[in-house]
Amino acid sequence: METVFLESPQGDEIKEVEATAVKLSPYLASGWHQVPAPAKHETVVLAAKEDK
Amino acid sequence: MANVNELMNGWGFGKQTAIGTANTAATIWRHTNLNTKPWAKVPVNEDDRAEIGKGHEFPTALFKSHYNMPTYEISKYASSEILAWGMAFSLGNVVVTGTGPYTYVIVPALGATNPTGLELPYFSFVQQIRPGGSAVLDEILVGCAIKGWKLSIKNSPGRASAMFSCECVATGQYTTPSGITLPAVATPHEFNAGMITALTVNGINYLTGGSGKQFVSMDASWENNFRPGFFPGSGTQDGYQIQGRFEWADRAFAIQFVVRVQSGSTEYSNLINQTTGTATITFTRDAQNSFTMTVQKMGFNVVELSNTDGIATLQITGVQLYDPTNGLLTVSVTTPQAGICQ
Repeated sequence: METVFLESPQGDEIKEVEATAVKLSPYLASGWHQVPAPAKHETVVLAAKEDK
Repeated sequence: MANVNELMNGWGFGKQTAIGTANTAATIWRHTNLNTKPWAKVPVNEDDRAEIGKGHEFPTALFKSHYNMPTYEISKYASSEILAWGMAFSLGNVVVTGTGPYTYVIVPALGATNPTGLELPYFSFVQQIRPGGSAVLDEILVGCAIKGWKLSIKNSPGRASAMFSCECVATGQYTTPSGITLPAVATPHEFNAGMITALTVNGINYLTGGSGKQFVSMDASWENNFRPGFFPGSGTQDGYQIQGRFEWADRAFAIQFVVRVQSGSTEYSNLINQTTGTATITFTRDAQNSFTMTVQKMGFNVVELSNTDGIATLQITGVQLYDPTNGLLTVSVTTPQAGICQ
């Protein structure tokens, strides 16, 4: 499962999201945008797992 | 003198770091273009004919005004490369994954959350005829943006069955000679209508089943409706004012398509019942090259009985509604080209 890191529109949250159009659409449509992988991986919420 | 077929076009597949900072050669590709015209630069002079105090009504002097850059069309057969490029630069919110091929998932940026506000990514455009010491034309236009695009699909043989064209704008800033050595012309991975593997609109599958032989043609288009970019500090070129930004105004997304009428056609009932659903168009060339456009919520505005080349048809105008969860439109393109809009 390929994932990408997205940052919230407010810049206060980063999530790791499964890189499919279906999974990404709700995030991108509400203003999240791609960012490089953060250095501190533990701060990231794995959205793909949350969805399950 | 030179024939126009010597014209070479290249433009940034990567985005500029700022509107006034040109792409480097490493992020510029070279493509053919079905539009055979060069991109004209139009500096405009004004005069003093309206001013009194000269003793007569005639103009006596010229004044430099501004660069009035016309829009320029890049017209291509649809390919994974050009669709990824056009969608990314015109819609703005881009996610890329993969290590080759690369998959770009693209949606329209929102002004409230876009890191660059109402501005889309910018690219540079290079045009050359016999570049070198005695160039007929060699310039790089800096700060170009995509104003709109049109994707056309129709029942016909060959490359013309799937066409993609972009209307581009430029600030007026340029450098000549460009200082760019264009690479070899790219060989894009083109699509044609025979490669369509999904074509479903508002619950009607136009590839298989009862509606499998209905489809005739489709035109989808996007318009950013840029506002003029002249403002204090927008800049000058050769003493003429240039534009310093392109901000989208009310954007428009339109889809029109034509299908054959048949017994039990459900397009009318979809209109009358105000049925809405997704619309999905997919081209699949191979594992490296595919394109999917998903309209998240579409209804029908007009369904009009008509005649297309002697066949009874329905001409349908869609209404693309903004879905509260998934937004308006999602495009996913897989292509071997790295770095598009990055």
